[in-house]
Amino acid sequence: MKKTFLVILTLVVTFALSACGGNSDKVTITFLNGKAEAVDWVDAAIIEFEAEYPDIEVIHEFNADASNALKVKISGNDIPDITTVYDTALMKDGYYYDLSDLEAWDRIDPSIKALCTDPLTDIQYRIATNRTMAGLFYNKAIFTEVGATEPETWDEFVAALEDVTDAGYDGLYMGGKDTWMIGHLIEFWAHGLIKQELGTVDANIAFMMNQTTKLNFDADNGPMEIFAERFMELKTLGLLNDDFLTATYDNQIDAFANGEAAVISQGMWALGGILEKAPNLASSIGFMPYPAMDPTKDAVILSAEDSGYAIMEASESKEAAITFLNFLFEADRQKEYSELIKSPSAFTDVDADWSPIREAVTSALSKGTHIGFTATPSGFGGGEAGILVQNLYLGEYTVADFVKEYTDSWNEAWNASN
Amino acid sequence: MKAIAKIINRIKTNLHKGMIVPAVLLFITFTLLPIIFSIGLSLTDWNGYSSPDFVGLKNFIKFFSDDRAKNAVKNSVFFALLSVPLLNIIGLSYALLLDRKFKGVNFVKAIVYIPAVISPLIMGYIWMFVLQDNHGAIFAVFEMFGKGDNYINFLGDPKMAMYIIIIVNAFQFVGLTMTIYAAGLQGIPQDLYESSAVDGATKFQQFTKITFPMLGPSIVINVITNIIGSLAIFDLVVSLTGGGPGYATETISLYIFRQSYGGQSGYAASVSLIMFVLVLIPVLVSLRIMKKSRLHLED
Repeated sequence: MKKTFLVILTLVVTFALSACGGNSDKVTITFLNGKAEAVDWVDAAIIEFEAEYPDIEVIHEFNADASNALKVKISGNDIPDITTVYDTALMKDGYYYDLSDLEAWDRIDPSIKALCTDPLTDIQYRIATNRTMAGLFYNKAIFTEVGATEPETWDEFVAALEDVTDAGYDGLYMGGKDTWMIGHLIEFWAHGLIKQELGTVDANIAFMMNQTTKLNFDADNGPMEIFAERFMELKTLGLLNDDFLTATYDNQIDAFANGEAAVISQGMWALGGILEKAPNLASSIGFMPYPAMDPTKDAVILSAEDSGYAIMEASESKEAAITFLNFLFEADRQKEYSELIKSPSAFTDVDADWSPIREAVTSALSKGTHIGFTATPSGFGGGEAGILVQNLYLGEYTVADFVKEYTDSWNEAWNASN
Repeated sequence: MKAIAKIINRIKTNLHKGMIVPAVLLFITFTLLPIIFSIGLSLTDWNGYSSPDFVGLKNFIKFFSDDRAKNAVKNSVFFALLSVPLLNIIGLSYALLLDRKFKGVNFVKAIVYIPAVISPLIMGYIWMFVLQDNHGAIFAVFEMFGKGDNYINFLGDPKMAMYIIIIVNAFQFVGLTMTIYAAGLQGIPQDLYESSAVDGATKFQQFTKITFPMLGPSIVINVITNIIGSLAIFDLVVSLTGGGPGYATETISLYIFRQSYGGQSGYAASVSLIMFVLVLIPVLVSLRIMKKSRLHLED
C-alpha cells in the first residue's frame, strides 16, 4: 500500500514538474480591445494564431470603455501588451512602443501612415489597418421626391433641409442624448475649418500643443462662433429633429432606416446598422461631405485612420506581440475584417468588397477636403463637447457663452493633462 | 497544568473579540484605506495614470470657483430634499396600508418591493423607453389617440427631467423603505393600542402618540439610508438622462466620475471628500434631531 502510494506520488510530482517545464517557454500576451464589432473576429483569429504559434498565448480582453480601462490598468501596473486605445497624452508620456520599424508599413497606404505618425517626433506609435469616413448620409429617394439635389454649400444645405422638412420628414436627425454624436458636429464642422486652414499635420500639432493663436477658438468670427451661429440657424428654422436632446444613436439609425429622416451625420461604422434594419435601402443611400459653414472654405469629409493597434512600452513580450499583429495583418484576414466593419482597408494588397455604397463614398471623397480626427485633450472628448452643444440647443448658452465655455473647457482639460 | 487551564480559559473568555477581526479587516481594506488614499490623492494633480505632484489645497480651492461642480451639488441636494421625504411618506403609507390581514397582502408587498431588486441602471433604461419623446411607450399611446403633439418631453426639459428621476427613484426604492417600516410596525406591542382604545384614543391619536414614536428606529434607518443613497445617486441618472439635458441632472457622483475619468483624478478625489462631508452633515443633523425627538435607535 505504502509502495503504491509512493509510486503514484512520484508520478504526480514528475508530471507536475514536467508540465511546469513545458510551459516555461510559453509567452502570454494580453490584448485590450475596445472595438465591440471586432470581438468575434479577434476571438476567431486568436484560435488560429495559437494553433500556428503554440508557444504564444493571447488573452483577449474586450472593454467597451477601453480608454478608461487602459488608464486604470496603467495605474494598477497591469499594463496590456497590445491595445486598440491610442491617447495622445499617453503617447507624450512615453507609454507606447515605437512601431516605426514594422514591416507591415510597406503595405499600408502612405496617407494612413501619415495619420498614424506623431507630427512632433515623426514616429509611429500605432498602426491602423483601415480608413474610416464620416460625413452626411442622405436618403436619395426623399431628396428626389422633394426636388432637392445634393447640396455643396451651406445655403444649399439649408435649402435642401427646408425642402425635406416642408414635406414632413426630419431634416438633420441627431441622437443628442448620446452626446459624443453631437460632439462630432464640432469635431467635423467647427474643427474642420481649422483643419482645412492649417492642413492635417499643422492642425494636428496645433490641437496637441494647444496653440491657441492658431486654433482661435474664441476669436470673433472664429470656428466656434461660426459653428454656434450655423447650428442655431438649423435649430431656429426647425431643421433638426424635435427630439434632438433625447434621441439616441439607435433612434437615429432607426429614423434613417425607416425613411423618417432625410439626413444624418455619421461615420461608416453606422452603415452596418442601417443596412441591417433596411437592407433594401442601400441603393437609396447618398453620402456627402459636410458643407462648409464658412462660405470662404470648402466642404470637408472625415477620412481618417481606423482600427489602430499599439504595443505598450512596458510590454515584456514585444516580439510575441508583433508576431500576433503580423498574423492579424495577413491579407486574407484583413479582407474579412474590412468587409465585417464596412471600412476600406489601409493595406494596399487587400481588395475587399467593403460597402454597398462604395461609389457614393468615393464620390464624396472626391468632393470634400479630407480631414482627420481631432487630438482632443484627455477629458474633453466628443461626449463632453456634446454637452455644451446640448446647452446651446437649450438656450442655456448664447453663442458668446458657448464660445467661452468651449474655449475654457478645452484649455482646462489641456492644462490638466499636460 | 493550572497555568495552561488559565490560558485556555482566557482564550475562551476573549474568543468573541476575535470574531470581529474579519469585519475590521474588511472595514480597513475597503473603507478606511480608500478614505486615507483619497485624502492623499486630493492633495495632488494626479491624472489617473502618471506620477502625481503635490498641489496642496489647490483642488479644494478650485471647487469653490467651479460653477459646474456647484451646480452638481445643487442638483444632488435638490434631489435629496425631495426624495427623502417622498420615499418615507410613501413607504410609511404603504407599510400602514399593508399592516393588516387581507387576501393577497403578501402579493401586494412583493409587487411594491420587486423594483428594488432591479439594477438602477436597468430601471433607468426601462423608464427612458417608457418616457422618451417620439419613441417611448407613453408617446405611442398618445399617438394612438392622435395626441402625439400634446406629449410633454419629460426627459428633454431641463426643468422636468430632475422631477422624473426623483419619481423613478421613489418608484424603485419605496419597497425597501416600506419593508423597514413594516418590520417596525410588527414590533409595536398590540396592547398599547388596546389600552389606548380603552382610554378613548382616536386612530389619529394612536398614530401620533404610539405608532410614530415607536417607529423611531425604523425612521432613523430609513432617513439616514435615504439621505446617503440620494446624495450618492449615480446609475439611475446615467441611464435615464445621462446627466442632461445639458447639466440639468448632473449629480455630484456623476460629476466626480466624469472628472476622474477625464484626467483629473486628484480633483475628483477632493470633490469626493467634499461630498463625504456633504453626506455626513445631514446624517449627523438627522441623528441629532431624532435623538432630541426620542426617535433614536435606543428607544
